[in-house]
Amino acid sequence: MRAPKAGPVEAQAETTETSSPSDSFEELFLEHWSMIYRLLMRMIGDPAEAEDLAMETFFRLYQHPPKAEEGSNLKGWLFRVATNLGLHSIRSYQRRQRYELNAGKNALEDPAEDQPAEILGSKEAQALTRLTLSHMQPRQAQLLSLRYSGLSYKEIAQAMGLAPTSIGPLLLRAEREFAKTYRSLSREEV
Amino acid sequence: MNGHLSDGNLRAALDGELAEPELQHLNACPACQRRREQIRSQIQPAAESLSFLAASAQESVPAAQSALKIFHNRTAIRKENSMFKRMFASPVLRIGLALVLLLAIVLSIPATRALAGDLLDLFRVQQVVVVPVDYTGMQQLTGNSTLGKQISQLISGSVTNEQKPGAPVPAADASQASKMAGFTVRLPQGTSPSRISVENAAAFSFKVDRAKAQALLDEAGRSDLVLPASIDGADVSVNIPANVSVAYGTCPEPGSDATGANLGTTAGRTYPDCVILEELPSPTVSAPADLNIAQLAQIGLEFTGMTHDQAVAFTQTVDWTSSLVIPIPKNAATYEQVTVDGVTGTLIQRPADDAPQYVLLWVKNGIIYAIGGLGTNSQQAVQMANSLQ
Repeated sequence: MRAPKAGPVEAQAETTETSSPSDSFEELFLEHWSMIYRLLMRMIGDPAEAEDLAMETFFRLYQHPPKAEEGSNLKGWLFRVATNLGLHSIRSYQRRQRYELNAGKNALEDPAEDQPAEILGSKEAQALTRLTLSHMQPRQAQLLSLRYSGLSYKEIAQAMGLAPTSIGPLLLRAEREFAKTYRSLSREEV
Repeated sequence: MNGHLSDGNLRAALDGELAEPELQHLNACPACQRRREQIRSQIQPAAESLSFLAASAQESVPAAQSALKIFHNRTAIRKENSMFKRMFASPVLRIGLALVLLLAIVLSIPATRALAGDLLDLFRVQQVVVVPVDYTGMQQLTGNSTLGKQISQLISGSVTNEQKPGAPVPAADASQASKMAGFTVRLPQGTSPSRISVENAAAFSFKVDRAKAQALLDEAGRSDLVLPASIDGADVSVNIPANVSVAYGTCPEPGSDATGANLGTTAGRTYPDCVILEELPSPTVSAPADLNIAQLAQIGLEFTGMTHDQAVAFTQTVDWTSSLVIPIPKNAATYEQVTVDGVTGTLIQRPADDAPQYVLLWVKNGIIYAIGGLGTNSQQAVQMANSLQ
């Protein structure tokens, strides 16, 4: 993976050794846009919000591209920034009005939605998962988001500044915490 | 290896992420295999709940090329907003901008009304003309301490304050404000202002120092713009009559950092219902009649980011005898002409995500009116303007 060469005035000064002449910001944007948008769409569940956050992710790449050592794992860097933004957005939602869970419940109670119950049930389950992530320690929530989005242990380790051998134990701890929080929130919401 | 694998290692094994020595142990150790299956069962509910985060081939995604176009548009707006805020946040640059605006007034002196070679001309605002400017072209000005120092020296070394306005004085009502300001103050019908204040008249003069002004352009990296020799030593005097500020809702104190151009940054959240009506009789500017106004205007416009050709074209379209030219950020603000108070006014809006704001400007019977507010309800300004009495 590479760090971008071009960007704003301040970004140009940070051109890295790992970049090649073809590594323009535009090329990196086109190469990674779909991956980052999809990640955020799955995390947030709202197309407009996902697009805004994906734009913000690339704006940060444009403004402050990763340094050489981070730039060698640009995918991990982008995932880290995007998951940070995504989790922050989910937490904001929760602070406002537990938006997604309510939306899922309302959908279940509203036959006019005209959707199969299993789809609505799945949406509610996803909303509860997001709610659970928002209640967890940010590092644990981010670790789960990165792993279940498909990053390898090596990529996660580079993105989060961890040793690859520590990912297994940390992941197991995060999954146990997730299950505990999920159960607790399920009982609350019943 | 010694002993059995840790739970963490066994968790990594479930993802196929176990290193070779540990993997060999696992393959040969029934106890570790049993424990691995226990962990698999343990994490299964979490894994199922989180599985929707995995990529799926069925997801629809906005086209990357379209997204890139949107990205560039948003970035341009963000840069201009940031530029605009930083300019107004810096006291030195605020003074510098005041100088630019002052020059804009000076530039508007009607050369066609020259009385004689060394006599003075008089300028009065009769209309407002908006010019969209790409402020990102002035990016190199921020953080340039040498340039800031030069601007300060240029101002402090050449300006003579002949009459200082002092702090704004509260007035009880429109009638009292009219007496204090010396002109008839008009208020929107059926409204109750939260505050009326009068700022006394101000007057100052300065002598143009071409060498210093040119050094300022050079320091800003615009050596390509050359000021004409004829401006050197020109005496310019400016008279600003007493003016009135009428506040509606909860507004910042007059003269505080949150007023004027800064209204709408942090003030946006603090004063969401604030609307301010300003009434100002046209300032008068006197300067030598032989100044080449169009040429100076062109330099000023190029300095703020216009290309040479754009500046030439714009300069030719403006009636410099009576127009107050206001530069607005090209990508971060929009403007339109509206009919208000029986005349044509200009509505400028900054639809910034964090702090949208608007200002409606018009000139009637020699008085410049401005209504500014936060948010997007600019129609409120139009209604207020139409109900002035």
